Amino acid sequence: MRADGTRVRSPVTTTILVTSIVFLFAPLAVVVLFSFNDGGSVTLPFRGFTLGWYREILSSTEFRSAVTNSAIVATVVALATLVLGTLAAYGITRARSRLRPFVAVLLFLPLTLPGLFLGLSLLVVFSGTEISLSLTTVAVAHLVYVLPYYLLISVAALQRLDPALEEVGADLGGNAWLVFRRVTLPQIWPILLSAALLAFLLSFDEFIITFFVIGPQSTLPLFIFSSLRRTVDPSINAISSSLLFVTIVVFAVSFALTVRSARSGRISVEPDVVGVDA
Amino acid sequence: MADDQGERLALATTTAAAERGIGGRAGGRERGRGLALVAAVPAVLWMVAFFVVPLGVFAFYSLLTNAFYDVAFPLTTDAYVSAVTSPLNRTLAWNSASVGLTTGAITVAVGLPVAYWLRFVAGRSRVAVLFLITSSMFASYLVRIYAWRTILGSRGVVNSVLDRVGLIDEPLGFLLYSRFAVVLALVHIFLPYVVLVLYAAMAPLGRGLLEAGEDLGAGSSLLWRRVILPIMAAPAVSAFVFVFILSAADYVTPQFLGGRDGLTLGVQIQSNFITVGNWPLAAATSILMLLAFLLLFLLLNALLRFRRLHDLRIQT
Amino acid sequence: MSTTPARVHLDGVTKRFADVTALEQVDLDVADGEFIALLGPSGCGKTTLLRIVAGFERPTAGRVVLGGDDVTTTPAHRRPVNMVFQRPTLFPHLDVAGNVAFGPRISRLHRDEIRRSVDEALALVRLDGYQHRRSHELSGGQMQRVALARAIVNRPQVLLLDEPLSALDLKIRLEMEVELRRLHREIGGTFIYVTHDQREALALSDRVVVFNEGRIEQVGTPNEVYREPRSPFVARFVGDANVLPVEVRNDGTVTIGEARVPVTASGTAGAAWLVLRPEVVRVEPVDGGDGVRGVVHDVSFRGTGHSYRIAVPGLAEPLKAEVPGVTDHHALGTDVSVRWDPAASRVLPRSGGD
Repeated sequence: MRADGTRVRSPVTTTILVTSIVFLFAPLAVVVLFSFNDGGSVTLPFRGFTLGWYREILSSTEFRSAVTNSAIVATVVALATLVLGTLAAYGITRARSRLRPFVAVLLFLPLTLPGLFLGLSLLVVFSGTEISLSLTTVAVAHLVYVLPYYLLISVAALQRLDPALEEVGADLGGNAWLVFRRVTLPQIWPILLSAALLAFLLSFDEFIITFFVIGPQSTLPLFIFSSLRRTVDPSINAISSSLLFVTIVVFAVSFALTVRSARSGRISVEPDVVGVDA
Repeated sequence: MADDQGERLALATTTAAAERGIGGRAGGRERGRGLALVAAVPAVLWMVAFFVVPLGVFAFYSLLTNAFYDVAFPLTTDAYVSAVTSPLNRTLAWNSASVGLTTGAITVAVGLPVAYWLRFVAGRSRVAVLFLITSSMFASYLVRIYAWRTILGSRGVVNSVLDRVGLIDEPLGFLLYSRFAVVLALVHIFLPYVVLVLYAAMAPLGRGLLEAGEDLGAGSSLLWRRVILPIMAAPAVSAFVFVFILSAADYVTPQFLGGRDGLTLGVQIQSNFITVGNWPLAAATSILMLLAFLLLFLLLNALLRFRRLHDLRIQT
Repeated sequence: MSTTPARVHLDGVTKRFADVTALEQVDLDVADGEFIALLGPSGCGKTTLLRIVAGFERPTAGRVVLGGDDVTTTPAHRRPVNMVFQRPTLFPHLDVAGNVAFGPRISRLHRDEIRRSVDEALALVRLDGYQHRRSHELSGGQMQRVALARAIVNRPQVLLLDEPLSALDLKIRLEMEVELRRLHREIGGTFIYVTHDQREALALSDRVVVFNEGRIEQVGTPNEVYREPRSPFVARFVGDANVLPVEVRNDGTVTIGEARVPVTASGTAGAAWLVLRPEVVRVEPVDGGDGVRGVVHDVSFRGTGHSYRIAVPGLAEPLKAEVPGVTDHHALGTDVSVRWDPAASRVLPRSGGD
């Protein structure tokens, strides 16, 4: 991207950047620090290091089942998104139909709808049709919420792919499916996988919609929500921190996939979004 | 060839596109092109079944009669009447708007220089900083709310530190359970989104643009006013609307951090639905809120268009 | 050529994009084994025509017949043609052998069969031993050779080349021209070659098709097209030319400047274009003869000779002249006399609108 060489110096924006990063991470750091704090209350000063809170939550069956439920839902949602989203992204980017813009608008629209309204709407429909609320209804709702985000990334990747590559594939005798499998997919699979991991994360952490459409079970965010409502139990720091750890690990893998695919030059992929000098 | 490879590729693509007639319609097998949209059918069906239809049903509920955790005929506009006439709703709507407005304004105001930094100042550290910002975007929503409660509470981190250094004798009460706390947490939640959206919009801008500005003797404030802000106006407005809508309709953050003056319409809708069981009222309030969002969006877009027309007139 | 059936037969091919007409009623026959060049400025429709033959675009009207079969509605992947694109477009996830083997693998040939034909194709483009290189390890010229091998390995009925050399440096371009001619001789296939470079078209092809604004202006051997352009456009586009508006008298003479000069065409009196190639124009010292008088407006050294621009009174633009010989030249501002062999000039009818 940068053919520039020289760097612009800009002390004002640099200060704003550093402040922003501190602002973004300091609160999270506080939570993680308290999760290791050996004391009964969430107040300063620190009383010493302990892993006791983690031991406590790990022995809680409620916590473990919440984590399991979240993982199941997020996995199902990520896989469904991978299939449905990839197909849709292909359709949106490769079709010449006049319906194309309408399809694109429909698929991206949920981005602009606050989760409150989606949650209420689905609850109304589920209760009206006497579909009992469960992890299934949660997954159904999450797919609506996650799909547009997945499409943002996968559509961009497909658009950036050199169209001549697919033409060469067709010219050499490949039909649409073969070209997709042997030409398109090998270029963009790291991006798709990375986007599916983000879909996993979005689902794993979703609370706003889940609150309305979940049945008797619990997910990790719901578990945190109820801990937040009950007074101050320092184990919530350990619970929150575990969620942050899962997030950072999954996100790091996703990010690495994107960066690697940009560096390998397989696709002129998002030097802008990822910021890799191609 | 000494020129940048990317530029050459871009050039080649444009000439090729020009050669083929019209940009955009070229590229790809003609046959099967219409069929490619079939691939989107499963996703479209999903969205219709679990997005369009539910929203329609929800909107329809707003016109029905309250039947305590259910709805009943006849059709009525009662729910809208009580939604509009309720003084509490008006206060809460104002709270929502002010939370949305402040959060949107702050995130865009901070997001712009950060995006600028990423595009023009970052250099080698760009990937690392992008990683930090994006990863913070995925950090749990509820954990952040909890974190701010820990920090801003009367026995929280801020008050403890201030107390210890002797700056205050009594805990600062306004920190937590206030609109201030809600906005702070929402800025924390939405800043990464805004930075990424604005950075994506700024990424295609060349360094040449800034140099051209500098070359014409524009100082940095003039550069911002004359070059960067006009170009970034449209994406900044989109980002603002996005944040406004999502934060004005948030119902969780105000519950935990808002106290009395930080309560918003979102909380009211949720409690009307879940606690009070007046579904038509909750639906009517939601629909009114969505209409207000739509109005804001159209208004800002019209303003943008007007500004562009205005610029054009000045130039000619 | 006329007795054997055409390998490619285009019948009234028309292509419209929205409100733009890219091709208008194009008829063309390409004989088996022929190397034909589609030449024209960018936007003239030549690439669109190639893409129609390849199957990437469908014509708005007209038919495409390949080897006797109407393929107008056949999708690209079922057509017995292969294309080499303007930019070297290799599959980045495959090595050289993988790229070349792409077509044969689709045909489900036996493994050994595939390896043999890949090696053969690579040998033909002189890339023996490059089988396991990746595209980023190749130069632009080598990438384009791989693309060639990838296309010819399928033994296409017609090989389509879309300005395959335009992304390459001049030196490599010249080498590749030699390679392409050799390749055409060795595999004896039918080549359709799109280019906007008239030098390339003349150097490579058996026949040149000159396009302008979606229509065929002229079809002929390079020699015909160069020597006997049928329109001022062809004259200007193929090679360099002075194209002068003249009035031909009944005796076959025209007036240029103050001189009256004979032109070959007799009996075609009236408005006409006089086409003069710069290399047929001789520039001589003023000697009181019957030449066209002019003043040297510009002169530059061209290695094999001098290139002049001669200002002639009454002509809107200076006359271009290429004069061989490296010794002496006429200095700037000198009065000169300009002559040419009437047989080497060409007269084209001119209607009012031209």
